Amino acid sequence: MSAPGGRAPRVPVDALGAFAELRFRLIWRRLRGRQGIPELVARIVLFVVAIPAGLAFAALAGVGAFSAARAGHGLQADVAVAAVFFGVWQTWTAVALSLSEREGLDLRRMLVYPLPPARLFGYGVLSSVVGDPFSVFWCLVLGGAFVGGALARPGAWVGLLALAYALFVLATVALVALLQETLARALRGRRARVLAIATVYLGTAGLVAWAGGRPAALLQALRALRALRWAAFPAAFAHAAVTSLYGGRPLAALPWLAAHAAGAAGAGYLAYRLALAAALAGDGGAPRAAASGAAGWRLPGRMGALLEKEAKYLLRHPLATLLALILPALAGLVAWRVAPRIPVEAGEVVRALPLLAFALYAHVAAQIFWLNAFGWERGGGRTWFLAPIPAAEVILAKNACAYAFSLALFAASAGVGIAIAGAPPGWALVAAVALHAGIAPWLLGAGNLVSILNPRAAPLTVQRGGALSPLSSLAGMAIFSAAAAVFSAPVLLALRLDRPWVLVGLWAALGLAGAAGYLVLLPRTARLLERHREALLEAVAGDEE
Amino acid sequence: MLAIETEALTRRFDGRPAVEALSIEVPVGAFYGFLGPNGAGKSTTIKLLTGLLAPSAGRAAVLGIDLARDALAVKRRIGVVPDGLALFERLSGAEQLRIHGQLYGLERRVAARRADELLAALELERDAGKLVGEYSHGMKKKLALGCALIHGPELLFLDEPFEGIDAVAVSGIRRMLQDLVARGAMTIFLTSHVLEVVERLVTHVGIIRAGRLAAHGTLDAVRGAGTLEEVFIRTVAEDRGAVRPLSWLGEARGSR
Repeated sequence: MSAPGGRAPRVPVDALGAFAELRFRLIWRRLRGRQGIPELVARIVLFVVAIPAGLAFAALAGVGAFSAARAGHGLQADVAVAAVFFGVWQTWTAVALSLSEREGLDLRRMLVYPLPPARLFGYGVLSSVVGDPFSVFWCLVLGGAFVGGALARPGAWVGLLALAYALFVLATVALVALLQETLARALRGRRARVLAIATVYLGTAGLVAWAGGRPAALLQALRALRALRWAAFPAAFAHAAVTSLYGGRPLAALPWLAAHAAGAAGAGYLAYRLALAAALAGDGGAPRAAASGAAGWRLPGRMGALLEKEAKYLLRHPLATLLALILPALAGLVAWRVAPRIPVEAGEVVRALPLLAFALYAHVAAQIFWLNAFGWERGGGRTWFLAPIPAAEVILAKNACAYAFSLALFAASAGVGIAIAGAPPGWALVAAVALHAGIAPWLLGAGNLVSILNPRAAPLTVQRGGALSPLSSLAGMAIFSAAAAVFSAPVLLALRLDRPWVLVGLWAALGLAGAAGYLVLLPRTARLLERHREALLEAVAGDEE
Repeated sequence: MLAIETEALTRRFDGRPAVEALSIEVPVGAFYGFLGPNGAGKSTTIKLLTGLLAPSAGRAAVLGIDLARDALAVKRRIGVVPDGLALFERLSGAEQLRIHGQLYGLERRVAARRADELLAALELERDAGKLVGEYSHGMKKKLALGCALIHGPELLFLDEPFEGIDAVAVSGIRRMLQDLVARGAMTIFLTSHVLEVVERLVTHVGIIRAGRLAAHGTLDAVRGAGTLEEVFIRTVAEDRGAVRPLSWLGEARGSR
């Protein structure tokens, strides 16, 4: 329907105002949380930790930018500018893809209103800058870098510098939106997800085989792929523009700024088209699974059914795919860049620390599955209280699957690390497995309490991990810190005695103690779940009365 | 023999009663229609009788077993289609039915065979491989009914089973349920807003208003010489005023 004269109908200002208010209220409620004072306090504590860190990073970025702008050109300017833009772009993108929620960009909910979808999407993209605490953090760091550069050489060129930083933020959020839409579409089908994981793993294996275990050859290969940096165009264009500005060549910066603006607009437009197509497609291309009762896993009995359900739920969560892609890649990077730099004189235990760190990190990466174990079930959660299943079995199945997933992540990461950096001593491998298994009952036992006492409905259809409430995040930090402190004591002992095998013995003993505690606690945890069923169902399934 | 027996069953939320002193008796083999306006306490009653909610006071026995004493024994013998359903959206329809059957103690082989039969009976075969999250509301309702039936329960609780299901499917499900009760295979406790359907199905009726039982008995005894709809409206609408007309509706067309 078009307006008389063929012009597009004007959108009432009130309608857009109402939409802006809606976005603001949703963001505010998300920040405020739904659980009153405890959640507010938890969020404040998290901010208390994050804000000084943000300010410290901003100050560091400012000092670096100040020196770079004073230097004007050369390696000092080039490296500092590249570090800020590529560093922020990389972390912003990685965090946004794995942790942020995508509510603001979901056009399906908004198409019902008589408002232009392009404008709605644009507002959604912009609100993701101010509404996401992580984005605010990166903006703080960029603000520090901008102020540092501006203070180094005050003048009219600072306007262009501000434009470069603003374009960087816009281009980054637009590219993140494009990546989110592309990934959501590409990874929707199970085959596509499996194919993506297989491609990355086989590609890594191929690269390692080609390099024959020589890191120098890998380095050469990566240098040959230098042109790929333009794929990170927000950082690449910003880097080119700002180095020109620091070098006192504002005219040379203008084409880069123009390219930057065009790139941001292009990425935003493509993201919008993909989001609109996805919203209008409805059920088209929906994922499929077993179509007959006889198909599926052949696990017998009630526990078999529980394990199959939990494992399928976990494997079908987009975040599982993302972690399976990211963690081994990170392990490869550490094995390539960090492990070779640890001197032999540091000793065997210190040289094994990267491997041991990944044994712990696999649990942290999978924490949303053991800190909010009922969150993804929504209405399905009612089954645990309607069906004749002892609550202890439900908890056990959830824990077993979360552990198996974490173990798979660790095995993949360790495999990639070993392929690149070479095999560690036998004791280190055994110790890493003992650490991973030993700390699990401690984390899972404590995580069950958080899952039951502070559940939160989590989105199923987006690849987000932002499903933990601030309170659960804080509890997770506390649980992990406490467990890591207990499990780090044997490291100090092993270093002091210079006996690496001490680690295996002590971690196995701690693990056995943890397992005994877990088994003692399990019936009580099950009773707690029964007692808290109403609050849990209210939180995850929306049950009230 | 009673399938359901409650004595002064009460549930309060923040001190506000949702169900107040409810005492009902449902005989084995009955098709019991539990009716009431929105917010009257129908779903709360089903949640109390199936163990989803704990009562604030009173007691309930299901199939002769005290719910407070042995809830698991009751759960083994009942099937439930709760308000809001209880489906795992990341499983396919076929997986949901088979796993649900296994959770109720069926052998995998038996659960798989029954899942396929139910998919056919509920006309869900074509979408059996789709994830439940992608199902329409009506399809989810049918699947939830399949889940409630797969283990062959003695007593079936259905909370608004016909809501969102097309007329042809309603007719098929209605026949299936009538057949089950006629064969003496099952007792059914059902809530619904579709009074014509309820009137054609049930043998017993209870009407709840503001958490309290307002009428209870066999269908014939409750409706007397009138229809169930007349009795229902008379029972629940006596304290409601007339709806005020919305004069501004239609203004836009008039001003064009």
